Amino acid sequence: MSKDNILEPGLKEKLSRQREQEWRKALRRDVSARKRLESRRHKMPEQPAAQRAANFLEVNQGYSLEMAREEAQRCLDCGDPGCVSGCPVAIDIPTFIKYIESGEIALALATLRETNGLPAICGRVCPQEVQCEKNCNLIKAGKEPVAIGHLERFAADYVRSNDQTVIESACGQAQGEKIAVVGSGPAGLTAAADLARLGYQVTVFEGLHLPGGVLTYGIPEFRLPRSILNQEIDFIRSLGVEIKTNFLVGRTATLTDLSQAGYRAFFIGTGAGLPSFMNVPGENLLGVCSANEYLTRVNLMKAFKFPEYDTPVPVVKKAAVIGGGNVAMDAVRTALRLGAKEAVVYYRRSRVEMPARVEEVKHAEEEGIRFNFLTAPVRYVGDDRGRLKGLVLQRLTLGEPDASGRRRPVPVPGSEFEVEAELAVVAIGQSPNPLLIRQVEGLKLGRWGNIEADPVTMATSLEGIYAGGDAVRGGATVILAMGDGRRAARAIDQLLRKC
Amino acid sequence: MNRVVLAERLVPNIFRLVVEAPEIARAARPGQFVIVIPDEKGERVPINLADWDGDRGTIDLIFLNLGVSTRKLARFKAGNSIQAVVGPLGRPAEIGNFGQVLLVGGCYGLAGLYPLAKEFKQAGNKVTFLVEGRDEAFIFWEDREKKISDNYQKVLRADCFASGDDLGKIIGQLKNSSPDLSRVVVMGCSYLLFIVSKITRELNLKTMVNLNPIMVDGTGMCGACRVTVNGQTYFACVDGPEFDGHGVDWTEYFNRRKAFLRQEEQALSSYLNKTLD
Ligand SMILES: Cc1cc2nc3c(=O)[nH]c(=O)nc-3n(C[C@H](O)[C@H](O)[C@H](O)COP(=O)(O)OP(=O)(O)OC[C@H]3O[C@@H](n4cnc5c(N)ncnc54)[C@H](O)[C@@H]3O)c2cc1C
Ligand SMILES: Cc1cc2nc3c(=O)[nH]c(=O)nc-3n(C[C@H](O)[C@H](O)[C@H](O)COP(=O)(O)OP(=O)(O)OC[C@H]3O[C@@H](n4cnc5c(N)ncnc54)[C@H](O)[C@@H]3O)c2cc1C
Ligand code: SF4
Ligand code: SF4
Ligand code: FES
Repeated sequence: MSKDNILEPGLKEKLSRQREQEWRKALRRDVSARKRLESRRHKMPEQPAAQRAANFLEVNQGYSLEMAREEAQRCLDCGDPGCVSGCPVAIDIPTFIKYIESGEIALALATLRETNGLPAICGRVCPQEVQCEKNCNLIKAGKEPVAIGHLERFAADYVRSNDQTVIESACGQAQGEKIAVVGSGPAGLTAAADLARLGYQVTVFEGLHLPGGVLTYGIPEFRLPRSILNQEIDFIRSLGVEIKTNFLVGRTATLTDLSQAGYRAFFIGTGAGLPSFMNVPGENLLGVCSANEYLTRVNLMKAFKFPEYDTPVPVVKKAAVIGGGNVAMDAVRTALRLGAKEAVVYYRRSRVEMPARVEEVKHAEEEGIRFNFLTAPVRYVGDDRGRLKGLVLQRLTLGEPDASGRRRPVPVPGSEFEVEAELAVVAIGQSPNPLLIRQVEGLKLGRWGNIEADPVTMATSLEGIYAGGDAVRGGATVILAMGDGRRAARAIDQLLRKC
Repeated sequence: MNRVVLAERLVPNIFRLVVEAPEIARAARPGQFVIVIPDEKGERVPINLADWDGDRGTIDLIFLNLGVSTRKLARFKAGNSIQAVVGPLGRPAEIGNFGQVLLVGGCYGLAGLYPLAKEFKQAGNKVTFLVEGRDEAFIFWEDREKKISDNYQKVLRADCFASGDDLGKIIGQLKNSSPDLSRVVVMGCSYLLFIVSKITRELNLKTMVNLNPIMVDGTGMCGACRVTVNGQTYFACVDGPEFDGHGVDWTEYFNRRKAFLRQEEQALSSYLNKTLD
């Protein structure tokens, strides 16, 4: 099992109990493994590249029921399912897939919901190729892995059911104590949903005017339609969770104020919203902005509908994006959709080191995004009115591995060259937003200003305060943030009831 | 949603809204601001806290009628609801006993200075107001500010304003006649912030300016509000908005404020077409 889900107690036993059920045995008998290995992975239906490059509608169109059942049939229902060990929340993947194979989609979704509060979202944004699908046993048989992510999203989209999952607690229903969750990203929402189901009275405080965290302000509609996200958030509200938007904890009220108002425990899921810049000359020219600014204008404030919506966004012919992660991919594909004739990614390492999801890179390439590897800006060049007109970049080579295990980029002397651009979006990473966490006295912080938390309970150095997601991990993933929220909910329950 | 309890026009181009926002009214400190989203399709507009009443749970917003957002706000009547208000944002102004403090304000800046004056007074300072306006008709809250200050002066005649000559003369005289004057705080349009900083730099008078760069979230998340002060980049919404006026990179500041001029004009004409229908 991967180190992130050893925390799931009794997992192995549970998996094999499920697998030994009669209906599962029957499925395995009915279709032989050889037959299952014959069919190829079903491609995700997509909007054609030329068409989607000019709109903000979702790229992936989703499997039909028939495609999903055929894809589910490829899964061998392994005795030792590698896939589960690759999933940070240890979803019972074979069970949900076999339910899809049998056409019991609602049961498939219920299985997903046992460990994943937001399957429609994870199915869309998880980096499956380095998690569940990477460990699928089909790869050992020389085949493409089962499309676990596509199936996960299918189950969630197909059944828009209410989640009936019951969470067990060691000692019955809680007494409705008040709990405050700060931040409404995937970490906070997951913690809130679980705590509500355990019987607590949960309030989520969100600084922005809409809940969802990065899912709302960062990830564009063409990857994650807002209707999908809103359904998930409405569902969490239906559990009794109150979401107070426009409430910036640390400014509107402090943690001390909230604790005086009767909140018994806290979960801090404030994310990693502080954008990094590179401190190179010209970075404050007009036309150089952080990916957070660019994406927030477009996604949260709907600047792509300007002037119907009031928030503007730069619209340019030539856009440059610095970085190689999901954030860079989202920014560059957004620039293209806003009408850039030329949208180029400049990344300081090579293609294989790019941390972005493989599917996003593939989509970006199909849409006409150009990639320029082993380059980094050394200077931004402005015109006489202080507007960006170009970048001076430097070539790099890869040297010795650094702390992250990736080979460190080393500048090539004399390799500078200039390119034209009226917009440069800096997408080189984010760190935890210091606003709240710096003012909590005694809260132990790590090297990058992240909150230090116990990996099992998510407890911080302060009694009654728990934390998770990007505020603890720096920039991580949606599913890891959710896992943290879930473990923290469990630990808060144990704390408050001493059981 | 935040309900408007009072809406009035203070001077021809400046409006006041008193808005229900109990949590903000309780937490507000002088020098802080809020972000207002006028309606569903609105942008996030930073507005200073001009006053607040913790008991009644209301805050005062005073704004210059400029582009789409402030025009939308100007149409609100008592009983209407604003889409969203979040705050208080920004660091509170630095308050202390500096002897005598000179508060220089113009335009909507007259409003934000009011809570500052109260607080400086309470901290034991002598408070002098220097108010700049096109003519009498553009100055508001004179009574209020006279009441809490030790000295209240006005500079009118906008045509001389550009050179800063009038302001320079008055500030110079004040400095000469008040040895205890050791701090200036400026609020208002960018040009006023700049010109006063220039004047006081020569007089070696510590000056804090309340910068108003373009903002998006106002919570430190986007960097749209970057300003350079004493060679370092800051995010004005969390590190400011009050900064040392003598250290501000004014060229960059003026430049960055112009980021969306074209779009702002486009938005305004499209809005005016719509509202005239
Ligand atoms: C553009 C982009 C694309 C990404 N793409 C992917 C992807 O494809 N797959 C993937 O797995 N991950 C992706 N990620 C990473 C992923 O989104 C994050 O790891 C995840 O959202 C972290 O969740 P979180 O709940 O910790 O924080 P966030 O989602 O950052 O949410 C934190 C919330 O807390 C609020 N907040 C902060 N401070 C306060 C305060 N003091 N008071 C009240 N509220 C506050 C913020 O406004 C925000 O809404 C992407 C990130 C970005 C930026
Ligand atoms: C911390 C902070 C506090 C603030 N407090 C207040 C406040 O209390 N009251 C208040 O009224 N404003 C305040 N502002 C400024 C206010 O946020 C902006 O004026 C507002 O965004 C205007 O929005 P708009 O859509 O009405 O105008 P915009 O669409 O932004 O601008 C409209 C038009 O005005 C013109 N214009 C823009 N800027 C200027 C300028 N500086 N001088 C002349 N013309 C210009 C442009 O031609 C543009 O087309 C504050 C700003 C900050 C950052
Ligand atoms: S949550 Fe993510 S990693 Fe886990 S099964 Fe779903 S897509 Fe795979
Ligand atoms: S490893 Fe692959 S084939 Fe085996 S159970 Fe998991 S998804 Fe199915
Ligand atoms: S307005 Fe976004 S960081 Fe200041």
